[in-house]
This record gives sequence, C-alpha cells and structure tokens, in this order.
Amino acid sequence: MYEPRIIAFLCSWCSYTGADTAGIARIKSPANIRAVRVPCSGRVSPELVMRAFDQGADGVLVLGCHIGECHYDTGNHRAAKRLPILKSLLTFVGLEQERLRLDWVSASEGERFSRIAGEFTDSVRALGPVHWRVNPDGNHMPDLELSAISELIPYPETDFTTKSAAIREKARELLSSEQVSCVIGYELSRRGRTRPVFIYAPEEADRLVWNQDCTNNLTTYLPYKLRPSKGKEISKPVAVVVKPCDSKAINVMVAENQYRRDQVYALGVACEGIRSPDGNLQTRCITCQEAVPIVCDTLISGVTSSFIPRLSSYAREEITELQDAPPAERMEFWLAQFDRCIRCYACRQACPMCKCPECLYERDESTFIGLGIRLNEKRTFHLGRAYHLAGRCIGCNECERACPMNIPIGLLNQKLAEEIEAAFDHRAGLTVAPSPIVTVLSGEYKEN
Amino acid sequence: MSKSVTDNKHWLISQTELESWLDQIANARTLIAPREVAGLTLYRPVEKSAEIAWSDKPLRSAPSGRPVLSVKEIFFPATERMFSIQKSGQDIALKESFPDWETVVFGVRPCDAHGAKLLDVLFLDTNPIDMFYARRRENTTLIGLACKSPGSTCFCTSVGGAPDDVRDMDIMLFENEGGYLAEAMTEKGRFLIPGGEWKETTTDLPSANFEIQFPIPEKGKWPEHFNDDYWMKISERCLSCRACAFVCPTCRCFAVRDELMAPGEFERIRCWDACAGENYRRVAGGHKPRPEKGERLRNRFYCKFFYYPEQYGIGNASACTGCGRCIDVCPAGVDITEVLVDLEKPA
Amino acid sequence: MNQNPMLPYLGKLVEVRDLAADIKLLRLEMLNGGSEAFRTYQPGQFAFISAFGFGEAPFGIANTCGRGPMVDFAVARVGSVTTGLHELGQGDVVGVRGPLGNWFPMKKFKGNNLIVLGGGIGGAPLRPVIQFVLDNRPDFGSLTILWAARHPSLLVFTDEYDEWRAAPNTSLHLTVDNPDDNWKQNVGLITQLLEKVAPSPENSVTITCGPPIMIHFVTKLLQEKLGFTPRNNYVTLEARMHCGLGKCGRCNMGEKLVCVDGPVFNMEEVGGLLETYM
Repeated sequence: MYEPRIIAFLCSWCSYTGADTAGIARIKSPANIRAVRVPCSGRVSPELVMRAFDQGADGVLVLGCHIGECHYDTGNHRAAKRLPILKSLLTFVGLEQERLRLDWVSASEGERFSRIAGEFTDSVRALGPVHWRVNPDGNHMPDLELSAISELIPYPETDFTTKSAAIREKARELLSSEQVSCVIGYELSRRGRTRPVFIYAPEEADRLVWNQDCTNNLTTYLPYKLRPSKGKEISKPVAVVVKPCDSKAINVMVAENQYRRDQVYALGVACEGIRSPDGNLQTRCITCQEAVPIVCDTLISGVTSSFIPRLSSYAREEITELQDAPPAERMEFWLAQFDRCIRCYACRQACPMCKCPECLYERDESTFIGLGIRLNEKRTFHLGRAYHLAGRCIGCNECERACPMNIPIGLLNQKLAEEIEAAFDHRAGLTVAPSPIVTVLSGEYKEN
Repeated sequence: MSKSVTDNKHWLISQTELESWLDQIANARTLIAPREVAGLTLYRPVEKSAEIAWSDKPLRSAPSGRPVLSVKEIFFPATERMFSIQKSGQDIALKESFPDWETVVFGVRPCDAHGAKLLDVLFLDTNPIDMFYARRRENTTLIGLACKSPGSTCFCTSVGGAPDDVRDMDIMLFENEGGYLAEAMTEKGRFLIPGGEWKETTTDLPSANFEIQFPIPEKGKWPEHFNDDYWMKISERCLSCRACAFVCPTCRCFAVRDELMAPGEFERIRCWDACAGENYRRVAGGHKPRPEKGERLRNRFYCKFFYYPEQYGIGNASACTGCGRCIDVCPAGVDITEVLVDLEKPA
Repeated sequence: MNQNPMLPYLGKLVEVRDLAADIKLLRLEMLNGGSEAFRTYQPGQFAFISAFGFGEAPFGIANTCGRGPMVDFAVARVGSVTTGLHELGQGDVVGVRGPLGNWFPMKKFKGNNLIVLGGGIGGAPLRPVIQFVLDNRPDFGSLTILWAARHPSLLVFTDEYDEWRAAPNTSLHLTVDNPDDNWKQNVGLITQLLEKVAPSPENSVTITCGPPIMIHFVTKLLQEKLGFTPRNNYVTLEARMHCGLGKCGRCNMGEKLVCVDGPVFNMEEVGGLLETYM
C-alpha cells in the first residue's frame, strides 16, 4: 500500500513549534511527514523544493508564520510571493498542483498543524506516487511535439537601406566625437550571416548593418564591456544597437546595479520584427507589444506598421495547449524536450540577465543539482533558471533561438511572465524596477 | 577520394533491400540512425527502418541531413557512470559500470567517422586505454553514407577529408541511380553484409575529385601567432557557451564528479565539459587561469589544430574534421573557417 | 596497471595530523592492489585522492618510497573535496589513483648542488626531494632549502626542520610575509630571501614549487640576476585536473599536459608556456 513521503519545511518560530504543540497535546498527525526545520519560511528557496522532489518526495509542504507575525518581519512575505510562482512553474511542467502547498500555522495552533498535515497527506496519497524523478539509466524519451504552433507569418520583403545608413552615420558620429568607446552592432560575416560586431573607430562604421536577421540581444555584452579595467571604471560609455525587446534588458540591469544608465548609449531601432530560419516572423515578434525601444538615446525609426501584434501579450498558443492538457501529458512533453538538452548553456550565455559570476547550477559545491548531463539535472537547471528570471525576463527569446536542440524554453519564461504580471502587475524592463520576487527582499505581500 | 582501402567486392542494392537489411539489423541489435526529432536530425535508436529520416528515396546525401550531434555521443556519451560507491562507515565498495550492448550506426558521414578515428588516437592508442570508450567502440559497427557534395558550412576537404572518404568506416554506401553501391572496409563490416542475398557488381565506386575549399595553415604556423591581438578581437562576440565543443566530433574534454544516488550510495560520473566555458579551469580558492574569452577561444582553436595533434601524435593532420557543426550552432556567429583563412594569409 | 585506471585503489588513513593552519598530513596505508601500485614511486609524482561522495583531487606525494610503505599527502582545505578529506580521521578509507606523472631526475642531479624553494603548501612535493637527498647524502653536493609562507602558522613540516638543518652540507632558510610576535627569522617574500642567500649557479640545480606567481618571479630572479640558465631550473606545477591520465584535456599548458608531461618541468622546455598557465 503506497504511503506518500512528505517533506515539510517548518519555520522555527511558528510552524515547527506548532507541530510540537500538536505532539504535546497528543493530536494525531500523519507519520508521512518528515520535518525540515528552517529559520523562516522565506528561507525556502525554489532549489530546496525542487531538490526535495528530485530526491523522491511525493509532496512538499511549507508552513510559516501568519502574515504579520513573522519573526523577521517580512520573511513570510517572501515565501508568499515566491512559492506560488514556483508552483505555477512546476505545475506547468507536469507536477500535480496538489503536491506543493504553502500555508500558515502559528506556534499555538497544534490542531491546525495536524489538520493541514492530514489534509495534505490525504490529497497526495490520492494522487499516487509522484512521477518526477526519472531513472538516470533510462532511455531516450519519446519524441513529443505540440500540435498548436503560433501562427506562421511569412516575413515580407523589406528594404533596410535607410535604417542601415542611419545606424552607420550615428555610429560614425559617436566614435569620431569620442562620445563612446565602442559601438556594439550587427554586421554581415563573410558567409553572409548577420552577427554581433564591436567597432572602435569611425572608419569601421560601414561594417554595421540592419536587417531581418538582427536577432542577437546585444545588451548581453554590456556587463563584459563595462566591467572595470585594472580596478578602474571604464571612462566612456558603450553604445549598443537595441531592438525594443533588447532595450528593456537595460532597464532591468540598471535596476540591479549591474551598470549605470549613463554608461550605455542606446541606439534604439524601431523594429519590423526578426526573421527565423524558416523564413517566418519569430514568435516573440508576433506577441511584441513595443514597436519603439523603451530605452533609447537615439531612435532609428522607419516603417514599422507592417506588423500588428496578432496575439495578445504572452499568449503563445503552445502555453494554452499545455495548460489544457492533463498533468501527465504535460510531464511527458517536457521530459521529451529536456531529454534533448546537452546542457551547453547556450541559453544562459545568450541571456542578457544571466550574469552571475558563478552560476548556482554549475558550482563545484552545488548541492542543488548534479553536474551530470542527465534528465533530472537538466530539468532542474531549466526550471531553476526560468524561476531566477521571473520578473526579469524581457522576452527576447534569444535563449530559445540559441539552443542547438530546438527546446522551447521560451515557453517557461513566458508562462512565468504571465504569472508575475497577474500577481504583481509587473512587466520586466518597462521601467527601472527590479523583479518583485527575485531581487526585492522585502515588501508588502498583498493578499488578493 | 573514394579509393577503397582493401581490394573488395562491391554490391549493388536497391532502397528496398537497404531498408529490409536495416530492419533485420534493428531486430538483432540496437540500430541507431538519423531521425527527425522536433525539427532536427539526431542519431537515435530506431526499431524499424521506416523511422529513419529519409527525405526522398534515395536518401538525401546533402549534409543538411547531418545530425546536430556527431557519432561521438555514442562512444563518449554526454554523461557516463564509471562506477558506483557504497559507503557505510569505514567500509567502501566500488562497482564498475560498463556498457553492454551491440550497436550498428547507419548514415554516418565521413567527417563523423573520421572524428571517431581521431578520438581513438586519444582513448585507445594512447596509454592507458580508456575502458569505457573501448567497450563502446568495439561493440559498434559504422555504416557510412557518402555525401554527394559538401554542405554550406562543410570544409572536410580543407582538412584532408572528403565527402566520400571511406577510410574510417566499416561499411560504406554510395548513392547510385536509385540504389546504393556498398563496400565493406573492415571485418566487422563484412560480417554484417548478407553475402548471398546481395548482388555483386563490378561497377566502379563513384570517384569524384572534390576541390579543397581553402588551404589551412600548416601546424608549424600556429605557435608564432599565439600572442596576436587577433584572438581577443574575434572572441568578443563569443558567449563562452560551449555549444561548439559539444557538437564537435572530436572535442573530448570531460569532467569527473561524485554524485549522490541514495544515502550512502554515490556514483562517479564523467560528463562533457569544454575549455570555452568560464569555470573550466577554475581552481579551488577561486583563481581562474584563462579569465578572458579571447584566451579560452584561442585555446580551443589551438587545441584543435596544434595541441591535440602534437600531444597525441597525428602528424600534420588537425583534429578538425571540417564538419561545420560549430559554425551552424554558434549563437554569435564565430566562424572557424574565418580563423583558418586569416591565419593562412601572408602576414 | 591491470585494472581500470579510472577506478581507485583503497587506502586507509593510519595517521591524520595538523601540519599548519588548515593543512593536514594524511598518511595512507594502501589496501588491495594499491600496495603493489605504490611499491615504488619517485619524488615529484602525484596521486588522486578520493573523499568518496565529495570527489577526487590530485595531491603531490609528500615522501619517498624509501621512507614508506605508508604514503604521505599534505592537504590544504580550500574546496569541497579537501573539506571532505579534512573531515576524515584515523581508520577512514579513501580512494587513491596513482602514482601518476613524471618525476624529478634525481639520478641526473647526482653531484650537483641543489637549491629547493618551497612556498606555502608548495613545500609538500619538495619534501621527498629533501628526504631523498638526506637519505643519499654523499651523492649530492650542497643542499640549500628556502622555505616560505604567508604567516608562521602556514609553514609546513616545521617538526622536521631540525633534521634538515642537522644534515651535513645542508642549510635551511625560512621567511614569512607577515610575522607573528615570536618570529625571529627573515621577513619578506621568497624572492627577497633568495637574493639574500644568492646561491651560486655553478654546478647547481634549482627546484621550485609554489603558487604560479611565485614560480614566475623566482625563476625570473634566478635567470636574470643570479645567473642560472633555464635548463637548470626545475619546477613542479599544478593545474586543475580531472583524470590525471592525459585524457580529459583540462590541465593543458599549451600542447603539454601537466598530468603526463609533468608535473615536473624544466624551465627550458616550458618557459614560454607558463603564460597560458597563469
């Protein structure tokens, strides 16, 4: 007879004591609960929860002090904000939503502890053993694809000469007047492929181009270019050609003190959209809401009305299809996707926001996931990365474009962006504001 | 050039005969072949020949059908358990873990087979023999498929290969007027050929002279350019992501780690790693040799064309097979052919 | 080597003692096939030690096989594997792979004067050199030992200094960067000490081990000011290693691999490559 294994993260001050109170009063609680004592429910990071499931927990229960009663003032606010977002991510990839629960129990509420523990155990028992951890010796997953594809819009013939010329001229001017030390833009390689280029002298400005293949988010190079040299800040700003989506990254990074606004000269391009290798408009462009860069020092404008957003913000049809499917099917789909992953980290390196000096998921001392390129680790890496980008991801989708294995990781970021907007009315990059859950350590939690 | 290595019989078979032969193989062993997966071509196990990524019959030989990952992943998988560790108090028990299946890989391009040969130099021909790689390699037969022409990013001819190079295959197939010409290059390959059923032929194997796309610098040229600023310049766009190394048929750097399996039980695994990554050389205590992207990218190119050949003795050949995968996957447009052309130019 | 070279032998810790702050000496008794593998080894070789569950890392063998059969390793606690090793005590079992790498050509050094320079835990791979000379004293000329550390608490093998000093034609010079109240000897970097001692290059060979920056400046000083030729400067290097067998590629220094072409190098063969190593 299957008995679920429940990991319960209990905060020292309230819920752990609440569990003790239940024990002392001889109120029965299920034996399935294995308690992990934490100083505060706000300590329970997504890595801990995912680690619990990775190691075989059938359910994870997080209990903290009631809102307003936290020993650390706002620690439980943190939990209240973070864990529902994590839960929406985990359920999106196929975990049943009954398996993760956040609730509040005070030190004297022995009965309440017991009731919640009992209810939770019953609902997890009813679901059966969890299907989360995959046998590392197993074979390749079945190849699953979604039937819904966001509408394909062929990229029309467009003349880019005016914009290219305008970018070159501005770059020439910025470099000859020595207003900037470097212009990061796009060029055509010898093979005719559009790629990033770094130019330092006005004569080189003719290398710059603008076309339908300017897909890279060039702001990803800014922390590298703006890092202090020999202990001294670099003396001049760096100019960067940005599309509307790219420009939002500047706001996010400035809000996080990665560099200052005055260190960046944004050559903003009003964008017709970018072409994907199959000749159609990229999916991120279909849902784009901004035709003009948010962060902009000089605007390179032109004809932009050709593309009207066909879908409302975030509504990639794949997300709807996945949400409508039962959890087991969602799980199968995502396992099939992550199985292809080779953990090259192209997604992470292409991202303008992923700039931790040492990635949590790559540390030698990482206790949260292993280093192996295996299904469980790969899934945790992607989920963890998506969570760390919640409220920060600006939707450039370069991660998905850079992936050599066609994994639709952009769906994870989009899903979380939807959740963040619904919960906090926040969209990354529109203003200089940090993410409400990842970087802001305190703040009122507003119960809906 | 398609000179046969041994003075061998040729067979002429039809598409149907090929498919039924592959079906037989799939029944008896594990057959791995290019398959369409999520819009990509990948080497995957197939149970029936119908699952193979045939574009139209005969099989398209253009390398756009080239799988994203090379055959390297079959002999040297992304992650491999070497042994398990049972620990209880002061008692330790180690148990080795060796792969144990027979595989046939169909649809291997000459660049991939040559990549496997280059890895053999490291894992088999240089002491000590790597037992994991050896076990997989000896239990695998390669059925090659000649390319009719190079793909847009291919440059195998520049590095001493050719689209119809038979050197490193067990069996080689050449598309020929609705069917295939087949030749067995090794005993292992001969063993697979259903001798009585196939029609022998005296038709010559196609022999095309493929142009050398562009000359590459000879090995001796590399050391003098080590301190050039060039490396810092071309690496500015590099993202240090390592995709190039992972899809490369010959990149072989790996990491070794102990991972937890269950209380008191660990496994020592090895998994792919690459010098392009930022943390590759980091030592405990935090010091990082090669902190600059340019140093890392330079190391990768030097290793491919100078260090690996010097260290493992492959003469003047390079460890690059000219497959072009790195060019295809690089998200930032780093192009190895540009580097080769630039280095070869007179100073 | 009969067995799979990636599979470790087992070794039992017969003694664990503190050598210096956060540095321990692990003395191992080899079990099963390991005792055969470690029957002989040369000064300069290294081995991989596994703290099972944490991982494995390379360590220089810190004694001569003549002073065996136990094998010594000095382990500084700097990361996860070394922390795992520091948690072990007498009787615990570790994994050992080795002996690996090349070694100091002691036969070639016969008749030479030896100058040994060790910085911090860099002294550990040099101890077998000193032991070898002491155990074969008549075969070698003078032995000059320069030993340095950032602080007196970080000097290794302090309880053996008297034995070294007492040997014929042998001198020991110590220096620290930051002295404590009891320190009565030299203060300063090893390069300053080296300039003060100023050994003669005639018929002499130097052996240096320490952090990369120290190796760089010491060899520079030896060659530019003290008249040594690169050929007579030997170093033992370390690098991050994962296999130690020349397969995984991680420890490359140019076209050389520290694990199989080294860790002992002659500065003439490796001088130019040192930049890539730092």
